Amino acid sequence: MENIEKRPLIDRNKLRGEFYYNSLLQEAYSCGLLDESDLENIQFQCIGLLADKTEKYNIGESSSIKVELAENIMKSNLYTIGLYLKTLPDPDRAAVELKTVKIAELYERGRKLVNARFQIAKGIYNLVQRNKLVTPNHSYNLTLGEKGIGIFFKAYDPEYEAHEFPASIDYQLCNPVEDLAGVEFIQKYLENLYLENEFCLIFKAENIHHLLYGYDKGYADLLINIFEQVLTAALGCSLANRNIRELGITQEDLRSLYIKLLKHDNPDLMLIIHQAMEEMFAELKIRNPSLRSYIERSLPNIASGIKNALKLNTLDKVFIIPVNPDLEPKIKFESGVKMDDEEYRRLIEELLRCRYSSDKLALIKEKVKSFDDLEDILLDTQLGEEEFVSLLNTLGDMEIAVMIKRHPFQSPIQAVDLSEAEHIIRLYLEKYVHQLPSERREKIFHMAKHLIQD
Amino acid sequence: MSFELINVSSFLIQKQAVDKVVKCNDFTLRFGLSLSRKDALELVKTRTRTLKEYGRIEYGGGVIDKIIKAFCDSPYIYQHNYVETLHELIKIFYFYKNETLDLISDDELIKFMKNSFDGKCQGSLELLSGRELDKMARNLRAGYPLEYGEDTDCKEEKDEDGEY
Repeated sequence: MENIEKRPLIDRNKLRGEFYYNSLLQEAYSCGLLDESDLENIQFQCIGLLADKTEKYNIGESSSIKVELAENIMKSNLYTIGLYLKTLPDPDRAAVELKTVKIAELYERGRKLVNARFQIAKGIYNLVQRNKLVTPNHSYNLTLGEKGIGIFFKAYDPEYEAHEFPASIDYQLCNPVEDLAGVEFIQKYLENLYLENEFCLIFKAENIHHLLYGYDKGYADLLINIFEQVLTAALGCSLANRNIRELGITQEDLRSLYIKLLKHDNPDLMLIIHQAMEEMFAELKIRNPSLRSYIERSLPNIASGIKNALKLNTLDKVFIIPVNPDLEPKIKFESGVKMDDEEYRRLIEELLRCRYSSDKLALIKEKVKSFDDLEDILLDTQLGEEEFVSLLNTLGDMEIAVMIKRHPFQSPIQAVDLSEAEHIIRLYLEKYVHQLPSERREKIFHMAKHLIQD
Repeated sequence: MSFELINVSSFLIQKQAVDKVVKCNDFTLRFGLSLSRKDALELVKTRTRTLKEYGRIEYGGGVIDKIIKAFCDSPYIYQHNYVETLHELIKIFYFYKNETLDLISDDELIKFMKNSFDGKCQGSLELLSGRELDKMARNLRAGYPLEYGEDTDCKEEKDEDGEY
């Protein structure tokens, strides 16, 4: 009989990680662990603690503060107390502590924990800096930089804003951190990020780059999770019996995978994916239990993506075929030598004096020998739409492709920083290209795609 | 936890605050000024209302006793305008705690109020609130010293007309 454990009265699942103190108080009251007089006593002590903290905040110089500020300090106090209460073996014990130990004492214990957690988070931050991936993805690099999470370690105020996390975090994790705040949030975020990096580091940066390039050429600007893409690709390789480290799945593999997976119903499919994960663990020698469990936690999300893709026959959107940008055909465009400034100035003056469009075009045709000069003229002389179209009519497909590459069409929001002349060029160019026959237009776009910028 | 819980203890806090205000009579009687318990309760209520109106929260006895002790020797305060003036001073005090973005301590603000009330405002609460404190708050927010701009204003006026 001694081994029988007492079942806690408070259901742990009903407690919220972010507002632990509040939810504990509520649950303890509804379970009868705390009565009204206990609540009143606890609340009274909380006000006392708040009064002490506000006095400290004002350095005794002011007896009143703004309500928002007081609320913030109160939240910070309760968060700190909650942090300590969370460390107790079970919520019932936490309720007993609330009843028997002074709030100020609970706060002090919590405050020590906040400090300890801060140091731990700092340690993990340093570890993450060391296992950081080499990637051009901006959200990843900025989040991990000094102006991202780095801000937290300078701006965190455990005394009055322990529940806040002053940091700029754009990079989304595969398993987002939910229901946590303050230093706990940062610690968990960094722990998850560390594990994601650990996994990605098994693969060559080059292979990850090719995979993400295959996902989207502009992945550097996207808010994507690198780990999720890599893990999905690794599972795909495992399912297709490909070398997992290479992350290289082919169109052929996708076709056979589609046939293979379509036959199975949901539980079977989950089993197969799980099996693929186990094979991946073995091949990549993943033994770290935290990493294994993190990957396992990521699996349902990836599996549901695979299920949907099978339904819609879009498996290529889930298992990305890597693309090596270096192997893509490239076109290099030589603009020619620019004319000297004096000559250019004379030409512009002459162009501005021209009354007829035909004269302007003849002059441009005669004098301009370089593409860069032509571009400058378009910007400086501000030709009318008709003149612009006539000029473009004299150009070949390649020149128009270069124009598109250098003056890409953008939405009005993206184009907000452009000069008026630049804006007009893009507008005319877009109109011009859209009225071209579709075949020629496609050809021009194809050329523009493969052009290398100077 | 919301701030509703403050109501739990508000009665107790109010009682303590009233006691503290009434106790000030020991100090002010020598200037011929005194407050009844009812007056003290009304002053505390004004404080509570003003705090709520300006979105502030206060602990302990607050500043009423400090205001009383600072202003009781003013030549412009008599028993017949004592209570009324205190009500106004309390409202002005909290209004300017907000307007100065809490950049000034309670004691400093009360001292400034007293000096201006007895000096330039010659007992006018309107001038105190609408002119002197307003100017001081603007100075503080702009990062200037409290009395900044007074000399320069005078000089400018004198320079333009050749006289004050």
